[in-house]
Amino acid sequence: MNIIQGLVDNYFYFASIVIFLIGMHIMLTHSNMIKKIMGMNIMETAIFLFVVSIGYVDGGSAPIVIEGQTIRFINPLPSALILTGLVVGVSLTAFALSLVIELYKCYGTTDSDEIMAIRRREQ
Amino acid sequence: MNHLPIVVICTSLIGAFASPVLGKGRPWLPGILARIIVPANAVLLGILLAHVGDVGVFHYFVGGWAPPWGIALNVDYLSLYMAMAIHVISTIILVFARGDLGHEVRLDGHRWYYTLFLLLVAAMTALAFSNDFFNIFVFTEVATIAACALIAIKAYRECVEASFKYLILSTVGSGFILLALALLYMVTGHFNLSLVAGEMAAAAEAYPMNIMVALVLLIVGFGVKSAMFPLHVWLPDAHSSAPSPSSAILSGLVVKIYAVVLIRVILTVFGRGVLSTAPIAEMLLLLSSAAIIGGSLFALAQRDIKRLLAYSTVAQIGYIYLGISLLSESGTMGGLVHIFNHALMKTLLFLAAGAMIHQTGLRDITKLSGIAKKMPITMGVFSIGALSMVGIPGFNGFISKMYLATGAFEAGKPAFIIVILLSSLLNGLYYLPIVVRAFLGAPDEGEVFTRDRIPLSMTIPLVALGLACIYFGLIPGPLLELVRRAAEHLILL
Amino acid sequence: MNDFVLQTVTQILMPFIQVYGIFVVLNGHLSPGGGFAGGTILGASIILYALTVDVKAAEGIYPDERAEMVESASVLVFVLLGLISLMMGRNFLTNIGIFPSPETGTLLTGGFIMPVTLAIGAKVASTVITLFTHLFEEKKS
Repeated sequence: MNIIQGLVDNYFYFASIVIFLIGMHIMLTHSNMIKKIMGMNIMETAIFLFVVSIGYVDGGSAPIVIEGQTIRFINPLPSALILTGLVVGVSLTAFALSLVIELYKCYGTTDSDEIMAIRRREQ
Repeated sequence: MNHLPIVVICTSLIGAFASPVLGKGRPWLPGILARIIVPANAVLLGILLAHVGDVGVFHYFVGGWAPPWGIALNVDYLSLYMAMAIHVISTIILVFARGDLGHEVRLDGHRWYYTLFLLLVAAMTALAFSNDFFNIFVFTEVATIAACALIAIKAYRECVEASFKYLILSTVGSGFILLALALLYMVTGHFNLSLVAGEMAAAAEAYPMNIMVALVLLIVGFGVKSAMFPLHVWLPDAHSSAPSPSSAILSGLVVKIYAVVLIRVILTVFGRGVLSTAPIAEMLLLLSSAAIIGGSLFALAQRDIKRLLAYSTVAQIGYIYLGISLLSESGTMGGLVHIFNHALMKTLLFLAAGAMIHQTGLRDITKLSGIAKKMPITMGVFSIGALSMVGIPGFNGFISKMYLATGAFEAGKPAFIIVILLSSLLNGLYYLPIVVRAFLGAPDEGEVFTRDRIPLSMTIPLVALGLACIYFGLIPGPLLELVRRAAEHLILL
Repeated sequence: MNDFVLQTVTQILMPFIQVYGIFVVLNGHLSPGGGFAGGTILGASIILYALTVDVKAAEGIYPDERAEMVESASVLVFVLLGLISLMMGRNFLTNIGIFPSPETGTLLTGGFIMPVTLAIGAKVASTVITLFTHLFEEKKS
């Protein structure tokens, strides 16, 4: 029962791990390269969710200091780092997409299995 | 003096981002810029090394903020050793690129090539110095994108395909790394390596699951990026299809910097305490033995010369991990010294192969018979590299293998000496036929070698690398002294 | 997309989107947002224009040569600002003690944070636009 209670209490961790696995599964098993990139994004989003939820404080608000007020803040560090992570994710996605476009020009398909088949036929 | 590490990283960055602007309409300028910046930085690192010898190792705080608030750079012998290796090898590759690049990359792509190259050098140097987990993550990504782009820049479709494969697998690796960092931050509350290490004992007591999962995720994440054996599938395609200077830097340096980061994290952050709770070191030993044998067997089956060299890299990465996971002083020294020695040898072999492909357009090793009569210098240094790979005494490969074997004895695991010997035999089996055929075989009647000599800018780096292989084989003293200090730092913690 | 309503609305909205983007960039050191968020908003305004009116015209507003210049220059600005403190004998990227000290809620404070945010904003806006126009163009050919 402890495990189940733990899962219920930390449902955001659990959810992000599930999303992470979904993303990784898409990335590694689908042959369509666009889907692979989507899986990559899903996986990254799951990690971002995980990191942001680490910094979450129950009842905390965004850490903007207003003079004369003291309220509970969430931990801003993970959120700030995830902003960097987002930028990294954007650049990875853009680069991957441009590679897919380049491959589409060469082979006329975005499916990696078909590309393998084309190459085998050519040899 | 204390600012030198950041100066080194910044000058590479400035060079990287000045190249596209300066190189517009002047495609020769970025190359000259890169060939000035990287050797100058190598000299600066030498000065820094002397300085560290005087004042001892230190931490550099970016922005003047000490951790836990600021980002710290770790200036110790391990990071200096890696940074020196990166800059020395890159200098040689850049000189070679002057002659070879026009052959492989379109002229308007040259300025971007040097942008990516300098960016990669900057990112690797930052990885070597970084003492902050999130910094490590960011620079890992910068290095990954730069490395992928260095493969895809040769607009052939094989390169684009290899680059995509590398990118996807690397992204899985980075995902694992970021998740591991999150798990560590969760239980320790820090991103700074030293502070996390300080909290590690208490955290491992309270949250053993978090620590274990983070450790495994880090090993798999960096394992993908450094082509640890079962995770190496992207490497042969990527390293064999890239332009030759790219192959050299990817095989010689990029895979190793991830290995060094992983080693630093495992040994200094997790430490012996956590390692002793699970058979992590034993698993790494088995995996690296599998890498050494498996990589060599795969290489044996290759006919494409660059693919053969790529598979050989898989095996050599195994040596590095083997040495480190023996957890003895000589073993660690062997693993670390092999980083530099292998960088020399593999760069030499890739560049020599590049020169042969440049000259003849042939990549098939069975068709290269008699080539030594046409290209005696290239084939001569290729033979030096091959002999060094096999581990003949007098060449630098022998030094690392000797230390690895001693380390296996020290650790009480002599079985791994057999692995090392067996792999030397296998290395001989796939390298020596190329050499023998090149020197003794008759050139095929049909082959006409149209161009006679390779440009001087390609000959000089090859000869320099060949001489370096012999020099560090005969007089390894100073190098070993530096490596000993780096290893002491790792082992003591 | 030759829709009159869409084009007119876009052209009316564009200045407001851009002013908001610039506001977010400039207030990066005072409020949530900053270079990345503001730069994306700025870039999005041009993307909106390209989608509704004309990609070619959008490229005319922001040609590749300028993008190269802006992207290189903004990174160089960041690095050089960091190196200023090195000249003064302090650590890389030191802010306090070299630049005017920060003051809550005042725009022209915070040392080099504002110039850095401006550089990031320019870089991000430029990157977003270039990525879009390049990927869009490739699809058509």
